[in-house]
Amino acid sequence: MASLHVLANPARFRRFSQKVLPVLSGATALVLAVGLYLALVESPPDYQQGETVRIMFIHVPSAWLAMAGYALLAGLGAALLVWRHPLAALMARAAAPVGAVFAAVCLLTGSLWGRPMWGTYWVWDARLTSMLLLFFLYLGHIALSRAYDDAERGDRAAAILALVGVINLPVIKFSVDWWNTLHQPASVMKLGGPSIHPAILTPLMVMAAALLLLFVVLVMVRTETEIDRRRLDAAERAQ
Amino acid sequence: MTPRMSPKRRRLWLLVGSLGVLGAAVALVLTVLNDNIVFFYSPTQVAEKHPGPERRFRLGGLVEQGSVNKNGQEVRFTVTDLQKTVPVVYRGLLPDLFREGQGVIAEGTLGPDGTFTARDVLAKHDENYMPPEVAKALKESGRWQEGAGKK
Amino acid sequence: MSHTPFIIGAYVVALLGFGGLLVASLLARRRIKRELGHRGLERR
Repeated sequence: MASLHVLANPARFRRFSQKVLPVLSGATALVLAVGLYLALVESPPDYQQGETVRIMFIHVPSAWLAMAGYALLAGLGAALLVWRHPLAALMARAAAPVGAVFAAVCLLTGSLWGRPMWGTYWVWDARLTSMLLLFFLYLGHIALSRAYDDAERGDRAAAILALVGVINLPVIKFSVDWWNTLHQPASVMKLGGPSIHPAILTPLMVMAAALLLLFVVLVMVRTETEIDRRRLDAAERAQ
Repeated sequence: MTPRMSPKRRRLWLLVGSLGVLGAAVALVLTVLNDNIVFFYSPTQVAEKHPGPERRFRLGGLVEQGSVNKNGQEVRFTVTDLQKTVPVVYRGLLPDLFREGQGVIAEGTLGPDGTFTARDVLAKHDENYMPPEVAKALKESGRWQEGAGKK
Repeated sequence: MSHTPFIIGAYVVALLGFGGLLVASLLARRRIKRELGHRGLERR
């Protein structure tokens, strides 16, 4: 906890990220290369879906990270509103567009899987609708944080939205259990272990690791940018 | 115990409190709207509710083994939830995952004779993923459960 | 129906989304760094 607290200082974070980013970027490239090889070459087709199962290797990790990203936004929102951490607002600004892209990739790849498998690009069932709502919450966060001339007011408004929207996360996760849906129930994160054969589960988990690393790299690069941007704004105002 | 909470503490409790109230409100709304959020009705629910012939709704369940009968453009099959069944007639292209023993969701109306006329048929995929050889081996060893995990 | 276009489409969507965001993020960081440098604020 103490080490995390140290990173709440923007200048310290910047020094930390400049040290860590090269290593993380290399790891991302490596794990992504292995993941793509496993997903596109090594893994077998599915007994029902055939080759189209390969769409899942992007779709499912994107969904996880879009949700984890929103949990991060909510945590940063709390850190800003309750503890006034100086880094929280900057990191939230950096992370919201990243989460939005992961949510969009999840929705679009899911749609491209649904057409050949279900027979439709889209239905308004509870899972698909709540996931679309997550994407809109991200867009709302981005818009709110830029809606005021005073950046701090925008940060606060966006933080409140992040905290309100966090209610949507359990709804997404359990939508397939609470209501019947067209979307299939959970295969990996469920009681009794995954119902995915290891030959298909392994590439899925490696791709999830790769996209998690990519998510972290993106957020760090963008947080550095936000810290520098705030310094630049401060310098301009001082003139 | 200090008589006054620190501002941080107060803000934290305010946040926890508001989120609790909001969560309860959302849970309440979702419970009340439960019937509208459900995507399809099972044959048992259809038998209980008797939707009129004018009402369009979605029927979901498993395609009964051996029930699929193709006649040119027209397909007839039976949807089952392993308790009740509903016969379905559909004219059009079926999705690739449409198979006997697999989940299906049909949208349409229930005729007075109890036959469901589908305008749209969607295949429902289950949560099991495995290579074809594994599925074959499971079937041969008799460890295969048809419709396993279905509600 | 052939599924190949859908599989390729999904990977293209991912490439455009993630790749595009990465390129945009790196360009934005470089631009800000350069502007800071112009003002003699580049911290080492």
